[in-house]
Amino acid sequence: MATVALDGLSKRYPGAAQPAVDAVSLTIAHGEFFVLLGPSGCGKSTTLRMIAGLESISSGKLEIDGRRVNEVPAKDRDIAMVFQSYALYPHMTVFDNLAFGLRRRAVPRAEIDRRVGAVAETLGLAELLARKPHALSGGQRQRVALGRAIVRDPKVFLFDEPLSNLDAALRVGMRGELAKLHRRLEATMIYVTHDQVEAMTMGDRICIMNGGRVVQTGAPLEVYRAPADTFVAAFLGSPPTNLLPAQIAGSVLSLGEARVTLPRRAAAGEVVFGIRPEDIRLDGAAPHARAEVVAVEPLGAETILRLRLPGVATEVLVRAARTVPAKPGEQVPLAFDLEAAYLFEPASGRRLARDS
Amino acid sequence: MVRSSVDRQPWGAIVAFLLPAFVVYTALTAYPVLRTFWNSLHRVLPRSEDFVGLANYAALAQDELFWKAVRNTFVWAGVAPVAEVTIALLLALALYARVPGMRFFRIAWFTPVLMSYVVVGIIWVWIYNYDWGAANALLRALGLGRWAQAWIGDPQLALPSLIFVTTWMWTGFNMVVLLAALHSLPSEVIEAAELDNCGWGAKLVFVIIPLIKATILNLLVLSFIGKMKIFDLVWITTKGGPLWSTETVSTYLYKRAFEWTSFDLGYPSTIAAVWFVIVLGAVLVLTWLFRQRDRLEY
Amino acid sequence: MRLSGDALLRGLVLLVLALYTAFAAGPFLWVATMSVRTTTEISLDHYAWPEIWHWEKFPQAWFNSNYSVYFENSLLVVLAAVAILTVVGSMAAHCFARYRFRLNRLLYFVIFSAIIFPPQITIIALFQILVQYKLYNSLLGLTAVYVAVQLPLTVYILESFFARIPSDLFDAARMDGYPEWQIFWKVSLPIAAPAIATTVILNTILLWNEFLYAVVLITDEAKRTLPLGIQRFMGDQLEDVGMIATGLMIAIVPVVLIYAFFSEKLIQGMTAGAVK
Repeated sequence: MATVALDGLSKRYPGAAQPAVDAVSLTIAHGEFFVLLGPSGCGKSTTLRMIAGLESISSGKLEIDGRRVNEVPAKDRDIAMVFQSYALYPHMTVFDNLAFGLRRRAVPRAEIDRRVGAVAETLGLAELLARKPHALSGGQRQRVALGRAIVRDPKVFLFDEPLSNLDAALRVGMRGELAKLHRRLEATMIYVTHDQVEAMTMGDRICIMNGGRVVQTGAPLEVYRAPADTFVAAFLGSPPTNLLPAQIAGSVLSLGEARVTLPRRAAAGEVVFGIRPEDIRLDGAAPHARAEVVAVEPLGAETILRLRLPGVATEVLVRAARTVPAKPGEQVPLAFDLEAAYLFEPASGRRLARDS
Repeated sequence: MVRSSVDRQPWGAIVAFLLPAFVVYTALTAYPVLRTFWNSLHRVLPRSEDFVGLANYAALAQDELFWKAVRNTFVWAGVAPVAEVTIALLLALALYARVPGMRFFRIAWFTPVLMSYVVVGIIWVWIYNYDWGAANALLRALGLGRWAQAWIGDPQLALPSLIFVTTWMWTGFNMVVLLAALHSLPSEVIEAAELDNCGWGAKLVFVIIPLIKATILNLLVLSFIGKMKIFDLVWITTKGGPLWSTETVSTYLYKRAFEWTSFDLGYPSTIAAVWFVIVLGAVLVLTWLFRQRDRLEY
Repeated sequence: MRLSGDALLRGLVLLVLALYTAFAAGPFLWVATMSVRTTTEISLDHYAWPEIWHWEKFPQAWFNSNYSVYFENSLLVVLAAVAILTVVGSMAAHCFARYRFRLNRLLYFVIFSAIIFPPQITIIALFQILVQYKLYNSLLGLTAVYVAVQLPLTVYILESFFARIPSDLFDAARMDGYPEWQIFWKVSLPIAAPAIATTVILNTILLWNEFLYAVVLITDEAKRTLPLGIQRFMGDQLEDVGMIATGLMIAIVPVVLIYAFFSEKLIQGMTAGAVK
């Protein structure tokens, strides 16, 4: 259990034009499950590795429990890490893999046996203790990697995309396990992933990174409902938020040929109109526009419709009910939930605050 | 599984691809091996061949020179690999720690491997020269002139001196291989060790060396095989002398076959046959001893 | 203090590395300097840096002592042997790697196991065979023997490479109707080009330096290969250290050239199969 504070942390590789991590400042509270989320190459893994001590810090300050640890070597930071590839010692048994870190810290033998036994029990590894990694399945290896971290009883747990090498069914199961684990251990956990479902379901707070910078931090639903810019809006949510070019004049939004009256005045000019597929209804009563159905994708539990609004080049995605009486080529009426819609500035992508 | 026409093996093609290789192999490897064994049961003179049964083998058992040569060769094949691989491992670890100029070092250390044993032999005959050779010159320059020796002229020192030469030659090779093995280690496992409170020493002992064990053993076996075959270096430097202190099986065989008073090829063939069995046996034993019990998957 | 301890260690390591480099490369540097000094100069001081660079010794060595003959013989034998090895070896390797038939592993093992055969087991019989077929003292005979000697290693290196080519490529070619020979020629060979380059370089260096088989199978002065020539050279000149040094340099130069241009490939080739 510890707090972790990043203050302007940066990582610059020699010869690179841009820093890999650019002045990242975050505060992670005691016992928080904090997720670093972003596309590949956004710097989230590098940030994690700097916290771990596996990458040197180019500039900025890193504090664990109020103590500056920039120069402290990784093994002295009292952290444990679960690697994406598990990084198990191939030549050691599961027991030795779990016990190794403790042995290296001169923990007495009886204590090691007790701790390893307890962790093995919790993670269902008790029968596998004599096996070597190559005789384990992917899911089992992942649990050993997890066990190795837990057995150390560290101040902070770091996870580097631990579920990405598992198949879909296992992933769903492990998500639940990790969440349960967090509640049980009440430990500070920093979790890196590119999978927004993991982030949304597991995180107490999520931090979206892009291009080495923090784009937005907050509770999952907050970030979901109030994205800071088009990047976050498009990144969170599946199918992604519709981002449509539009113009505003007075209280009227022009979306292609459609005219939508906004509930409030907004600054005139070009905007990007953002609306999530679940916030568009196929409502005949008071439609904002009519669109042509391009494709219907029945997913079983719901249906995704691809529509084309006259005058708008981008397809509009709509989440509809299980059975939708619409076929490609037909016209359907659309109603937008304007309270849930976003307006973004076209140039920077920043969300425009609502005027009252 | 559906049997389709694709499952029929294209025998014509297979034979065509393998034929040239096997013609060469049969004519110039397999047949000679058999012929050598056949020779060993005969007295093979330029114009006649007489069957002598196991007489050659009996004579071989008593042949002092042969057994001295076998001893020398085994000493060489036992000591040299250990020296070569150990020093190479230390050097590879030094380079692995990202010392600057790594590429240059790697290339420089590999050069002795490229040279013909003939060239190497001549150079080291000069280095070992008593009067002006580099070895003694260096000792004298350091004020250790009392230690200057006739390195390859002294029956006690000749073999160690030659072993030193092969170590000089092959350490660079082993170093390059070990460096490649070190670089192929999964970095995350080493990082995990870092987090498990391993300093450099502990990482080496508990993680790195166990993971490259297979390569180390492989190099030991390769070096062993190479030393069992050695001929060129001895022939150029000492020709087996002084007093057969550097006589190896290969030089002894050559002398018996092509530089002996009798022109009998039967007896040297016996030497070859016995040596063949010994080498194969030794390699089998080593491979069995060094077999990897588990696959190290990573 | 942690920082200076680190720097000290680094410095020590660097020193050891520098010493070892001198140890490894020193002898060659010495020979190189001696190759451009006359024997008189050398006997005065064996380790001096050349004052006058006697480049004329090189043509002297080349023309006055049959060196050109030795060089040409080596060139012919090595080029021919390597060419044949590449073709024959890659055909066999391709076959072992891509076709499944009952005898596959057995036949592969038969060839592969020859790598550990000591040359003594074949050398006497080869001598007899070459004499019998009038190929003794001939470059043709030596070439044939060289092909046989290097074949197992070549097949071994190429087979593991050919085996790694994804079989999808072969299936696609078969579905396109290519006959087996064309598949070898158009799919296997081009993709395996790096491995083939590796074996070419490896075989060239090994055969260029080969001595034992040459010394047994060639006695005719006109047919001597370079290593034999150098040995003879040393026998002839014995005290003429300067001339021998020049001769050695001429022998070393081709290898150094290959090394200069292909060091990566060369190192890769020679260490292939040693990393497990």
